[in-house]
Amino acid sequence: MEFYNKPGDYDAINYIPHTESHGTKELWKTFWLLLGITLFDFMIYFVMPTSGYRNFIFIFFGLVKAYFIVGAFMHLKHEKVSLALIILVPTIFICGLIIGLLYEGSALEVMKSI
Amino acid sequence: MANNITTEASFENQETWAGGRSPFNVSYGKLMMWIFLLSDAFTFSSLLVQYGTQRFSNVVTPITTKWPDPASIFNHFPGMHGFHLPLLFVSVMTFILILSSVTMVLAVEAGHRNSKKEVAKFMIYTILGGLAFLGCQAWEWYTFIHEGARLDGNTFGITKQGYEHLHSVSFGSHFEWEVGDRTFGPVPFAALFFIVTGFHGFHVFSGVVINVVVYIMTVRGVFERRGHYEMIEKAGLYWHFVDLVWVFVFTFFYLI
Repeated sequence: MEFYNKPGDYDAINYIPHTESHGTKELWKTFWLLLGITLFDFMIYFVMPTSGYRNFIFIFFGLVKAYFIVGAFMHLKHEKVSLALIILVPTIFICGLIIGLLYEGSALEVMKSI
Repeated sequence: MANNITTEASFENQETWAGGRSPFNVSYGKLMMWIFLLSDAFTFSSLLVQYGTQRFSNVVTPITTKWPDPASIFNHFPGMHGFHLPLLFVSVMTFILILSSVTMVLAVEAGHRNSKKEVAKFMIYTILGGLAFLGCQAWEWYTFIHEGARLDGNTFGITKQGYEHLHSVSFGSHFEWEVGDRTFGPVPFAALFFIVTGFHGFHVFSGVVINVVVYIMTVRGVFERRGHYEMIEKAGLYWHFVDLVWVFVFTFFYLI
């Protein structure tokens, strides 16, 4: 709200953005979380036999890591909700496409073996 | 100028979408970086969707077109020849990329405090991390190609016998492909590996180039004169996106 609030303020080259440091505590916390999840994945890989549950765990923790990278590192948690929505909502459709085409892929498998 | 004052006051109370201000409270450059990253996310999604579909259509039968087990192929580690070490090397690569993401975000944080020296220091760390990752990927590609993988061919179809052979060895013991283990597997396995990790590696490469440019600008005091370090944030957004893509490449190509 601090910038562009007066006519003539908008100047792409000379404008000064509103910046403040939130400290490095949250960033390091996120780093340890990401590292911990990666090590957990590594452990699960060797402990659990290959199965659908194991794949589910990997994908779930992949999404958790994505949440922390986008939220904390890319700062999306602290942006306006409308900005977060225009970026995140389209990706829901990608998830739909992935699930749909995985089903179609399985169907192709059956068709090939006939 | 009473008239002027009223216009300014009414402007401040204007609604979000009435024009004249950024409705998302971000600068033009940062918003455009986000939009670019969204379109880039679509690019990688389409590649990963293709990978998933190909993989799901080559699962069980016939055995010659079975999708190879990643553990049987990406099981090398530099300097430890002849050992079956699945996932270890990519985990190191993941660690490098996460670490360089942290140094990048620390550079952004230093930029918020207008600390030129710290920004330069953390940018150097980030660039080194990116280069280390690229080196690792070059080694990974070299090993994969050395074992016979090509963009238009794949020697990694694994037979039933080979599958049993693979699973009889445990973590850390000797594993090498034998003649009977191998058939010619589905071509998209190697092709999609090269395309997706190549695309990601190219993003890492361009990220390193961007970081080098931003580092030079920092050292020469461009941002100091400008009064803010927002360019570091924009470069940081791109760099974190590269890390984000790697999370999914790591999950779908190596873990699953």
